[in-house]
Amino acid sequence: MDGNLNMIGYGLAAIGPGVGIGLIFAAYISGVARQPEAQSRLQSIAILGFALAEALAIIGIALAFVL
Amino acid sequence: MQNLIFLAEGSEPTEGGHAPENPLGFVPVEAALSLVVFGLLLFLIWKFVAPRFEQTFAERTQAIEGGIAAAESKQAEADARLAELEKQLADARHEAARIREEAREQGAQIVAEMRESAQAESSRIVEHGKTQIEAERQQAVTSLRAEVGALATGLAGRIVGESLEDEARQSRVVERFLADLEASNGTTSGSVN
Amino acid sequence: MFGTTMAASGGEFVAPGPNSFDFSKQALFHIGDTAVTKPMVQLVLGALVVFVFFYAAFRRATLVPGRLQFAGESAYGMVRNSIGRDIIGSHDFIKFVPYLVTLFFFILINNAFASIPGIQFPTFSRASMAYALAALSWLIYNGVGIKKHGLLGYLKLQSVPSGVSPVMYPLLVPLEFFSNILVRPVTLALRLFANMFAGHLLLILFSTGGLFLLEYGGIGYVAGPLAWVLAIAISFLELLVQFLQAYVFTLLNAMYISGALADEH
Repeated sequence: MDGNLNMIGYGLAAIGPGVGIGLIFAAYISGVARQPEAQSRLQSIAILGFALAEALAIIGIALAFVL
Repeated sequence: MQNLIFLAEGSEPTEGGHAPENPLGFVPVEAALSLVVFGLLLFLIWKFVAPRFEQTFAERTQAIEGGIAAAESKQAEADARLAELEKQLADARHEAARIREEAREQGAQIVAEMRESAQAESSRIVEHGKTQIEAERQQAVTSLRAEVGALATGLAGRIVGESLEDEARQSRVVERFLADLEASNGTTSGSVN
Repeated sequence: MFGTTMAASGGEFVAPGPNSFDFSKQALFHIGDTAVTKPMVQLVLGALVVFVFFYAAFRRATLVPGRLQFAGESAYGMVRNSIGRDIIGSHDFIKFVPYLVTLFFFILINNAFASIPGIQFPTFSRASMAYALAALSWLIYNGVGIKKHGLLGYLKLQSVPSGVSPVMYPLLVPLEFFSNILVRPVTLALRLFANMFAGHLLLILFSTGGLFLLEYGGIGYVAGPLAWVLAIAISFLELLVQFLQAYVFTLLNAMYISGALADEH
């Protein structure tokens, strides 16, 4: 079995954004549960936060290919 | 863009052999094609689809708003008509009240007039009766006076046995008698009335 | 780099890698010197599908919509209202609606090609195509901002955070500039690309892996079909991801435009 150490590194690096995205959506769900009428406002904020957290994972995959 | 080019340059294959393509590599043809196709699609949507949609949307909004406006004008019209009818009704009521009032007044006036005329008639009749009575009484008095004179003279002549043929004396006696009579009659009649 | 191989006693399983996305050796036809590959054809096909759908839906637009027009209106109205109006604001969203609609449906149909039988390749797993769209987004949101605030005003808006004491500026201004101007287009492109790439890779892995396991025999008779069942489940997940990526790409575009248009706070 051969492979590239980069991918292991990327796997480790993806843990952080994974946890972050989980936290974002956990907060979003509990926010909607508490105040269902705020859903449309919360949704765009949640997706923005999701995009920002995911950016880290994306930078990670790019670096895994490049380095 | 610089970043992307940097990525593309940084992705030179490091291993030898048949040099597998880096999936992050920048292929100018594909990027250009993507831009051109997207640009064309954007142009077409911009030119043909979006105006149609917005137009339909605006028309629909207008139709709904127009319907609302029409309903509002109908409502206003109905309101105006109702107000007019109510005004007419109020007028009619007013008129009826006025007529009733007038009739009442007229009736009262008629009653008053009737009463007045009846009063006048009755007083006239009473007056007439009085006058007639007075006249008859006068007549009776006159005729009585003449008759009483003659009668009394005759009677007295017969009693006294003396002729009272003398005109002057005769009339003097009668006058005096009548005056006495009248005086006593006047007191009795005054106490009776 | 991705060429991971798994040693098996029966034969060698060659795991799918970036080679599955390299069409440069299998051009469909040539125009001049340029090799026309499958993703390029898909790109054009996707644009055609989007335009034909909308054109057919609105060709005879009536006040009371027919079935096709209703579908078109729902699709258009979703992007127009829930992305455009809610994010950019009702004041000046209308001139961005065609851009957002085009972006959303162009990406959506090209992503959906990954699940359409006979095509089964997501166009935007070719990174260059995603780069182009992200570059265009970058030009548009920066252009809109510069047009409204002027170059200096726009740079100030994007890189000087409000409500922070000026002591922190040396630290925050470069960071904000970096994240708002430089990182945004990169993440925009890479998010789309990486999701499509990874999803397609996963599907290939489970399909070819299932086949290999069946041929390998033994425990493979159980594991192979199981892999295929998983492949089907992942296909449904991919449908969700395809939609979500198109949505996120468009939503982020709308957010960047709205941020560029925002008044000084």
